[in-house]
Amino acid sequence: MDLINNNIIFNTINNGIIILDENLNILAWNKWLEINTNLKSEDVINQNICKKFEYINERKLKRKIKTVLVTNTSAFYTIDPHEYLINIKVNTIIDKIFESMQQSITIVPYDIEKKYVCLYIYDNTKLCETNYKLEKLNDELKDLSNRDPMTHLYNRRYFSEISDKILSLSMRNGTDLSIIILDIDKFKNINDTYGHGVGDKVIISLANNLEKNIRESDVVARFGGEEFVILLNNTNLENSVLIAEKIRKKIEDIEIIDGDNILKFTASFGVAKYEDTLDSEKIEHTLKRADNALYIAKENGRNQVMVDL
Amino acid sequence: MPTNITLNEDEQDCLQELMNISYGAATAAIAQIIDRFATLNIPKIKTVSSTEFEEYFLKRFNNKSKYYISNQLISGHLCGENMFIMDDTSIYNLSKEFGLEDDEIDEDELKDVMLEISNIISTTTISKLTALIDSSVIFSPPSIKIVEFLDNLEDRYKTEYQHIIIIATDLKFKDQNIYGELIILSKDESILYLKKALNKLLDEY
Repeated sequence: MDLINNNIIFNTINNGIIILDENLNILAWNKWLEINTNLKSEDVINQNICKKFEYINERKLKRKIKTVLVTNTSAFYTIDPHEYLINIKVNTIIDKIFESMQQSITIVPYDIEKKYVCLYIYDNTKLCETNYKLEKLNDELKDLSNRDPMTHLYNRRYFSEISDKILSLSMRNGTDLSIIILDIDKFKNINDTYGHGVGDKVIISLANNLEKNIRESDVVARFGGEEFVILLNNTNLENSVLIAEKIRKKIEDIEIIDGDNILKFTASFGVAKYEDTLDSEKIEHTLKRADNALYIAKENGRNQVMVDL
Repeated sequence: MPTNITLNEDEQDCLQELMNISYGAATAAIAQIIDRFATLNIPKIKTVSSTEFEEYFLKRFNNKSKYYISNQLISGHLCGENMFIMDDTSIYNLSKEFGLEDDEIDEDELKDVMLEISNIISTTTISKLTALIDSSVIFSPPSIKIVEFLDNLEDRYKTEYQHIIIIATDLKFKDQNIYGELIILSKDESILYLKKALNKLLDEY
């Protein structure tokens, strides 16, 4: 290995190169690695890489080396899920996202007869940082486009997208899925009497109240005007009615202060549980049944919960 | 650039034969690497256009499972991309064959098992295939993603690739069946090269 250890390309290339035998002994360690790890070639040569760097999973590395030697092609460690093979701390202090250098590793045959392989270590930290920032921005943009600007609840478009997926999961796992649809009673009167500013305050306070009273796994959306929908994951009809009733009572307690006036309001509720036989794999059908129940609640005098059985 | 090049029946038969040989090599490699006896069923091969691929993809991969997808770029005469798909049950079963115990299995481990198996099957198959048609290729590191819902096929598959070769097979270990699908997405120039190479082989035998 003396020849390679003194090779100019081996020692000037801007990535790490390690040559290993099949027993994981280090045969060559280039200058890039010496500089980045503060370990001189003589500190590591002829040592077992998994003993020198105990965090390396020996079984995995051995399997990858075997793959290379058996198939005579490359094997890889990709950043996701590995992050790194040799832990090298990132030096930057500004905008540091990763503690360690994000490495992508390619293992190639070096000498099949002697069972030697060569590991190329590429530093992809900058690329990962850029990707991370882009993904974060992308998520933020997506989230903005999925939400109603006034209440920050999900909008109808997102609701229909996510509800289909949740229904698929629920069918796959054999769990219950229920829907609550609610509508503020006589909202037009509130707007006409107190003005749209107060109407908006009513909607926002109701939205906040809904968010406080559901679980993280549930989805609440503003469907339009004064109408809201809640998708209750893993919830049977009985519990959905209890949740709707709890929310109905909480809404009765909300007070909107407008100068000297204190405004109180109520809402009506319709509840339905997804049923294979009735809804034929369409959550819109469940929604329609919940809407029918809401209609009955309104007809029966408002401020009540009705169920579509 | 022509976009309506297809493989005729003879060429498809010849490709099927080559794939059988290539998959045989992949099976032998898997058995040797993880010290388990494995067999691969004779793969079912289908060549489709990008439009047909979308239909196939949506029909084949429903939303009843979570899928692990590995993508790897191929450069050389057969340039394009390969995609290997397995559902979560298959990848879990495979991780047991890789010797992992239940308490060791997490998402990162499953991704790594996917990385290994897709790399072995894809590179062995494609390297063997290219060697058989007297060519060679280079593989980029694969990327792995887990997909819950396959309702949106990325647009690039429709625009970048004109020809798609689907190789579907069961990987059988002693106790369990593991199903995986290798999809080779190739460009017009590659399919032209492949046609030429297949015809050369057909002339020789």
